[in-house]
This record gives sequence, structure tokens and C-alpha cells, in this order.
Amino acid sequence: MSRRITVLAVCGFGVGTSLILRMNIEKVLKEQGIDAEVINADITTGTSINCDIIFTSKELYTVLEEKTTVPLVEISNFMSNAEIAEKGLPIINEILKNA
Amino acid sequence: MIVIDYLATNIFKQPSLFIGLIALVGLVLQRKSVGDTIKGTFKAIIGVIILFIGVNLIGTAVTPLSAAFSTLYQLPEANQFDPSICWTLLGTHGSTIGLVLVIAFAINLVVARFTPIKNIFLTGHIFFWMSYIFVLAGVEAGLEGTALTIFASLFLALYIIIVPWLTKPFVKKITGSDDFTIGHTSSIYIILGGLIGKVIGNKEKSTEDIKIPKSLEFFKDTTIATSLIMFVIYLVVGLLIGPAARLEVFAPAVETINTIGGMQYDLFTFSLMAGLTFGAGLTILLTGVRLMLGELIPAFKGISDKLIPNAIPALDIPMIFPFAPNALMIGFILSLVSSIATILVLAATGSLAYAVIPLATACFYDIAPGAIAANAEGGRTAAIVTSILGGIFMVLIISASIAIAFNTSAGFLQIYGGNDFSLWSIIAGIFGGIL
Repeated sequence: MSRRITVLAVCGFGVGTSLILRMNIEKVLKEQGIDAEVINADITTGTSINCDIIFTSKELYTVLEEKTTVPLVEISNFMSNAEIAEKGLPIINEILKNA
Repeated sequence: MIVIDYLATNIFKQPSLFIGLIALVGLVLQRKSVGDTIKGTFKAIIGVIILFIGVNLIGTAVTPLSAAFSTLYQLPEANQFDPSICWTLLGTHGSTIGLVLVIAFAINLVVARFTPIKNIFLTGHIFFWMSYIFVLAGVEAGLEGTALTIFASLFLALYIIIVPWLTKPFVKKITGSDDFTIGHTSSIYIILGGLIGKVIGNKEKSTEDIKIPKSLEFFKDTTIATSLIMFVIYLVVGLLIGPAARLEVFAPAVETINTIGGMQYDLFTFSLMAGLTFGAGLTILLTGVRLMLGELIPAFKGISDKLIPNAIPALDIPMIFPFAPNALMIGFILSLVSSIATILVLAATGSLAYAVIPLATACFYDIAPGAIAANAEGGRTAAIVTSILGGIFMVLIISASIAIAFNTSAGFLQIYGGNDFSLWSIIAGIFGGIL
């Protein structure tokens, strides 16, 4: 049995855009029948949260890159479910397979 | 009747429980499971409780600075507002703020359903604080009860419907798509920047062709950057007012900022603790806001998706950051410099009427997006002009809005103003004055 993975969405203040991203990631995962906990956080506290994969924007990618050990996904349009699916799903499926 | 009476006197008057109730209705409407519904409702309530703690902590970190600025500018007693009033009013009017939010959102839904204006406001934290601004503008005008709710609801509806709609053409110029618009306090600067860019500069010479040093990435962590800037401001202001004055203003505050009892006052430690307490307050505040909105916004979006399938969401400002990160950095630094210079010039000439302090967050989240809009229309020249003018304009509208909201939200505007919060405090204040 596969475990439930934790997905983290990060933006600068952790209240606006990361919430939109979180809702869209939830939608994409639900369509795929993947059960996951999706949470959102700000850049300051985000690096200390335990998770399996992080989604973030282009301008924060370089900041997170040095601080995290889990896979990091860069999304340029937070409203694009296609982009989230294309960039995120292969990695998430990989994590689930190894879990 | 007993039930209604109980709800009105106990549940509705507690802002945290009232927001929890809104979340509960939202979760039930989304047909969530019983477990998720209870979890979500509690999360929202805990979020509001945390938010209030963050707000108090920020207040204690800023109050001594505000006093020091009054000493520095030699402000007359009559021009010194009580910075704690705005947080007290947040508590006493918290439920009205929640109710106004729901009414304004309902008006937004109706307008989007039946008119060509299709934007739906989904930036929760701006939604909440803008509701607060309009409720307090009503309080300043002497309104209460139903009249207060109607006044604030109409203004909030006007704001969340019209402003994202006005901003939309400029957002389209930046993103090249119709997917979303911006619903954020930076709108005034996006529109100003866009208009400046139409008049001056050359679109082909973009800010994005410039190489920006990597060391500036530090500022992307706004909480840390703001703490650092607060620390420096405390230090500089402390040095400027001199040893006697700072002992009088800062030393008694040693106990109120988060120090272990018995700490001996010295300027360096005090400034460091005050600056970082501000950062801690901001982190707590954001955690609270995140918990609260994490339950409310998906409900709002769920309702909107069902009723208005072709809605255009009005979203938070970082949505446009990836399109011009250089313009953002240039806008932030230039506006910070020009706003500090404006404060210094006004203070030196004795024309600063209120304690205006340099605002790093407004420069980053409000003026810098204006530089992004300016760059999309008129390239780097327009971005630079917008940033510098934006910094000057910011100081002026903070000062004007403090004057007009003197007995209510002045303390809030001193820290978070200089953007649509200030602008709309002025608009609603003038309107409230006529009533």
C-alpha cells in the first residue's frame, strides 16, 4: 500500500498565490486519483516543513534550490493545470512508486 | 428567539467564531465530509485567534518607533495618534468585518453573473483588510449598526469589482493572457505605472535585459528583509534623537517587546529585538491568515465556479512577479530610496505632519508591481520613473490617510498603508465626512 504524500506550495507571503497553486494542485491530483495532502507556506518557514515535493514560482526557485533536498518544481503559470500536471505528475508518480 | 439571541450576543460578536461560522457554511456547501468540516471550521477559528496575536505583537514592536518618530519630527501632541486604537477596533468590529466580507462577495457574484464585468475577487488577505479599512472609515464617520454594515459593504463591493476590472488591461499587457486579473492593493501603482509607460520610454528596452546581482535575492524573503530594515530604522532613529530622548522613549518599552524580564536597555540589543519581534509578529500574522483563508477561499472559489463558469479570478500580486523579476527588484530598491528621501526632506523642512515611517513591504508588494506594469508599456525608463515617483507618492498618501483616519485606522495605515489601503481610506473618509 502506498503512503499519503505531502505536497508543498510556496510563495513569498504564503497566503495568496500559494493558496491558488494549492487549489490547482489538489484539482490535478484528484483527477488522477492520487490522495495527497497539499499545503501552502511562505518562503521563510517553507524550508522547514516536512514534505515530499515542493511547487514554487520562477523567482523563488533559485532561493529554495539551495535549501531543500526534496524535488522542486518550477511553475510559471499558477493557473495552468496543464503545466502543473506536465511538470509535477511524473515526479509524484516516481515518489509513489518508491514509497 | 433564545437561539438567535444567543448567537447574536455570543457567537457573532466573537470575530474568530464568526469567521469559523462562515467557513462552516462554506465547507457544508462544498459537501465536505463531517471530519473535514469540523477540521476546517476549527482551523479557521484558530487562524483568527493566531492572527490577533500576531497583530498585537507587531503593535508592541512598532509603538516605540512611532513615539521616537514623533520626538524626531517634533510633532505637536495633537498630531500624535494612539497606535493601539486600530487593533482594539479590529477586535470590537471583527464580526462586522466578516459580515461585510460575505455581503460584498455576494454582490460580486451577482455582478459577475449578470453583467460583462466577470472578475471575482479571490485575494483573501486583501479582501479581509480592505473590509477592515471600510468598516473603520464608517466608524470614523460616526456610523454604527446596520448603517455601518451597509456603508462598508457598498464600498467593499465597489472596490473588489471595479478595481480589478480597471487593472485588467494593464495585467494583460504584462502576462499576455486573459486568464486572470489582479485583486490587490498595488492596483493604484499598476495603473499609474501603465499610464506612465504609455507616455514615456521605449518598450523594446526592457528591464529584463539588465543583469541583476545575485546578492539581491536576499530581499525576496520579505519577512527577513523587513525585520532587517526595521532593525536599521530603530538604530538610526535612536542615534538621531540622542541618548536622553531614546532613554525616555525606548527604555520603558524594553519590557513590552519580547525580552526576558530584567534585560538592561541598550540601543543595539533593543533595536535588534524590536526589529526581529516585528518579523516574528509578521510570521505569526501570516500563519493565522493562512489558516483562516485556507478554509474560506476554496469555498468562495467553489461557489463562484458553480455559479459563474466563465469568471475571471482577481488574484494576489505575486502572480505577475515571474513576468519581470528585474523590474520588481528595481522598483523595490528605487522606491525605498525615494520614499526615505521624501520623508527626510519633509522632516527637514518641518512639513511632515504625522509620523510616517519607511515602508519596505509597500515598496516591494505595491510600488514594485507598478514598475512591472510600466516596463510592459514603456520599458526600463518608464519602470525607473514609476518607482521613484511611486516612493514620493506613497509618503504623501500615507500622510493624507493618517490625517483622515486619525481616530481609527491611522496606526494600521502607518505600517501597511501607502497603497490602495491609504487611497481608499481617503476616498471613503471624504465620502463618510459628507454623510
